[in-house]
Amino acid sequence: MPWLRLDGRRVEIHDGDTVAAAAFRAGVRTFTRSLKAHRRRGLYCGTGDCANCLVTVDGLPGERACVTPARDGMQVERETGWPSAERDALAINDRLHRFMPVGFYYKVFARPRWLWPVAERVIRRATGTGTLPPDAPTRRTPTRFVRVRTLVIGGGVAGLAAAATAAGEGSVVLADEAAPGARATDPAARDAIARLTAEARAAGAEILEQHAAIGIYEGPAAALLGPDELVEVEAEHVIVATGALEAHGVFPGNDLPGVWLGRGAARMTAIHGVTIGERVVVVANTEEGAHLSEALRATGATVTLVTGRVLEARGTRQVSSVTVLTPEGRRAFACDALVLSLGWAPRDTLLRMTAEPEVVGAGDVVRPGSTLAEAEASGRAAARGQADQPTEATSWPIAEHDGYVCVCEDVSMHDLERAWDEGWTSSEILKRYTTATMGPCQGALCSRHLAEHARAKGAAPAARGRTTARPPVRAPRLGDLIGGVHEQVERRTALHDRHVAAGARMDHSGVWLRPGTYGDVGEEIRVVRERVSVMDVSTLGKFLVAGVDARTLLDQVFPLDVGAIAPGRARYLLALDEAGYVMDDGLLAALGDGSYFLTSTSGGADRMEAWLRNWIDRLDLHVHLVNQTAQLGAINVAGPNARDLLATLTDDDLSRAAIPYPGHADIVVAGVPCRAIAVGFVGELSYELHHPRGRSEGLWDVLLAAGEPWDIRPHGLDALDVLRLEKGHVYLAQDTMPDDHPAKLGLRWAVASQKETFVGKRALERMDALPLERRLVGLRFDGAPQRGHPLAVDGAIVGRITSCAVSEAAGGPVGLGWVRAVDGAFPDQLTAGAVTATVSPTPFYDPEGMRLRA
Amino acid sequence: MPEVHDRPLGVIVCAADPAALDRLVPPGHGARVLRVAPDEVLAVVAPDFADDVRRELADRVAALDHDALVLDVSDGWAAIALVGDDAERALSYLSALEAPAADGFAQGDVARIAAKILREPDGLLLLVPAYGRDHVRTRAIEDAGAVEARA
Repeated sequence: MPWLRLDGRRVEIHDGDTVAAAAFRAGVRTFTRSLKAHRRRGLYCGTGDCANCLVTVDGLPGERACVTPARDGMQVERETGWPSAERDALAINDRLHRFMPVGFYYKVFARPRWLWPVAERVIRRATGTGTLPPDAPTRRTPTRFVRVRTLVIGGGVAGLAAAATAAGEGSVVLADEAAPGARATDPAARDAIARLTAEARAAGAEILEQHAAIGIYEGPAAALLGPDELVEVEAEHVIVATGALEAHGVFPGNDLPGVWLGRGAARMTAIHGVTIGERVVVVANTEEGAHLSEALRATGATVTLVTGRVLEARGTRQVSSVTVLTPEGRRAFACDALVLSLGWAPRDTLLRMTAEPEVVGAGDVVRPGSTLAEAEASGRAAARGQADQPTEATSWPIAEHDGYVCVCEDVSMHDLERAWDEGWTSSEILKRYTTATMGPCQGALCSRHLAEHARAKGAAPAARGRTTARPPVRAPRLGDLIGGVHEQVERRTALHDRHVAAGARMDHSGVWLRPGTYGDVGEEIRVVRERVSVMDVSTLGKFLVAGVDARTLLDQVFPLDVGAIAPGRARYLLALDEAGYVMDDGLLAALGDGSYFLTSTSGGADRMEAWLRNWIDRLDLHVHLVNQTAQLGAINVAGPNARDLLATLTDDDLSRAAIPYPGHADIVVAGVPCRAIAVGFVGELSYELHHPRGRSEGLWDVLLAAGEPWDIRPHGLDALDVLRLEKGHVYLAQDTMPDDHPAKLGLRWAVASQKETFVGKRALERMDALPLERRLVGLRFDGAPQRGHPLAVDGAIVGRITSCAVSEAAGGPVGLGWVRAVDGAFPDQLTAGAVTATVSPTPFYDPEGMRLRA
Repeated sequence: MPEVHDRPLGVIVCAADPAALDRLVPPGHGARVLRVAPDEVLAVVAPDFADDVRRELADRVAALDHDALVLDVSDGWAAIALVGDDAERALSYLSALEAPAADGFAQGDVARIAAKILREPDGLLLLVPAYGRDHVRTRAIEDAGAVEARA
């Protein structure tokens, strides 16, 4: 016999059991404790609609026990109550409930202000439904995209009839939370479902079992949550056939364990063979309820069938008696199970999420209480474009007494009355104030009660409607929510495997995976400063700008004097937006044929391309822009011995006459055609070798081999961060803010103000007329600073550190940071905690730039 | 289960005036010409013919637009083939794009990478920037149930 463990106890599983069936058969009656009052809660709807049976299954909280198939070896834990659901010390809250009415927390803990953070911690520990394990695996649910003519949601008689009929007209997908017929208790319904399933399949409909629709969106589109996938469906037509559930009765004691909705009791009896009680009272206002009482009798229970309105249920651990107002008068019954079949509530949340005419209902969801024949006819009619219009629920019980309206959030009739008296006089604001309908079941049971309450209180028509239905209908996991939305794209350079083989720690740098360090950052820095090193800079944005209007484009867009760049030379480039703010930087190299090679930051490449294409269109220029980021690899050879190293691998002239700083030349290195660009980001003699990506590994290998005499090592991002800081170069985004114009960054020199026009020129002119209110400055520290630490003058915060490092080359700790003007002047001395910061000119290292011009 | 194959491929970009591209005679050698933008086509061809196609395109487009640009950008692209009957289903796990008709192509988001999708006799061909090859392959295998090609 297979078994599961429930709170450590071994529980046998029968064939076809749900977790709830196995647990109930083993004697479990209390499945959860309620949110606030910690009242006992047992199986109630039995159809996955309410939140009374949420348990933790194999470490994952919030699983609905009544619809979760039991599996051998499964670990199940009840997740509410302290120390346990059976013996919950916090049940004292139930006695204190009258002193903690709705809104209690907002009022009592609002003052003094320090109280709420304390109270919040206590409240959060006392409430909630389960705890995510700290070591829960991160998981992104695979997402599948489907386009279909007709999507049918619901695998009952109406849904299958709709699918079978619609399949003749085009593609059809039918989604059902379980499998068609798996939860049907009526033999006639099972037969009809089997017949219609065969018909639908034969007609070509795709049936997705165990796929719950969690939302309908504009389009129409729908999200279906399967066991291992999220399916995003775009459909021309959506037919919602989600059926109806039994009306939630509100009366004192309505939430006691042992109080059941009829279909839940029927499933437990007919499908799982579980006897729900020995003395059962069935209060039935429907024909189905009368049939149910017969089925319950067949299990050996003593069943009393009553018609009327339930006035009260009593009991402590579970229901023990019920009082019903019958046509004959008030009657009390002893019982250990109370089954309610009071009327039908269309399961119409999905249908109410959209007003699009392409989304219609069929069967019980629009005609609650339909016969099988009526449901089939409704489904077929919907598929033919003749859907039934929704009708209001029949025999809907209006709550008039005490009892829990929202069992998820522990909101009682008293709470609604009190909130109404306080002035929350519409269903929507009642919802917000009381949190009724905002629990895990999302108002499946109680949203009508809220509207009915507002109506009964005389609310205006606009204030007594049902509250807005929103996704998700079923609780998804975080991994489901990010499926199809969040994607950690990992762009890899051609040298990725080389870096991994060299033991590099690979870091996410934007969308790229890049080596952070190869093990010893200090040594990597020293190699660059003293010998020669290589770095993979293939991630740089790389663009060929060609065409007769290439220069015009660059001149119109960028604030540098493009005409002054002779072929073979290069210039530092700032990209400003229309507001004059710095959005990217890079290098612009003039090629001999009137075209240009432009590099941008690694993270800014996509934006740069889109931005340039936009300007090409706006200026109506004849420009060919080719994004070569993927096509070209790039390796920076840097260090005092860089030229010596390259000289062993090329016959081309590497002198400053041939490759000036900053400039470039096409050379061949070890047989690989390269565009060598003399740059200075790390402050040493450097050549960026841009080359065909397919040759990257060979070039890397040969550079490392040829560099052995100089004990060459590669360097990663950590070393680069220090090397560029020593030169005072900014990292866009890290050292900058979105509204930085060049002067704030000390980059005014990169703007050719005399130019007639460039993007952002007017804005810069206006800003130039204003005093600088803050600026980025170089800082030297007398201790170890921390990045992000506030900078203060006389205790007043006037800035923060954006970059810092302890630098051998700069002779101590240095950094960059933002500083605001104080009384119109920028301070020279600041504090960062216990550390003193002195504003210092940059570069910190080789301020004359002799080394990089070597 | 579709199989994932790497397909060596030559890719030539031809950027020119839209009117010139409208009149451009496609190159031979079995090249497939994708009009990816009004002023840009990509020619996809077996690697051995990439140089021939580049020359053909350069010659032909020069007569139509003297300012046209033709460039071999094969290094910038990786071609991943999804081979098998389930290729379209596998694609549905990677992209909201519909698989193209036999003579067409689709372009857009494939696993958050800008890609082109071509139909092949044995399945689908995903043309992705070379830096996205590993990412798309991984997603095809982990999410879409594709399997590595048998050696």
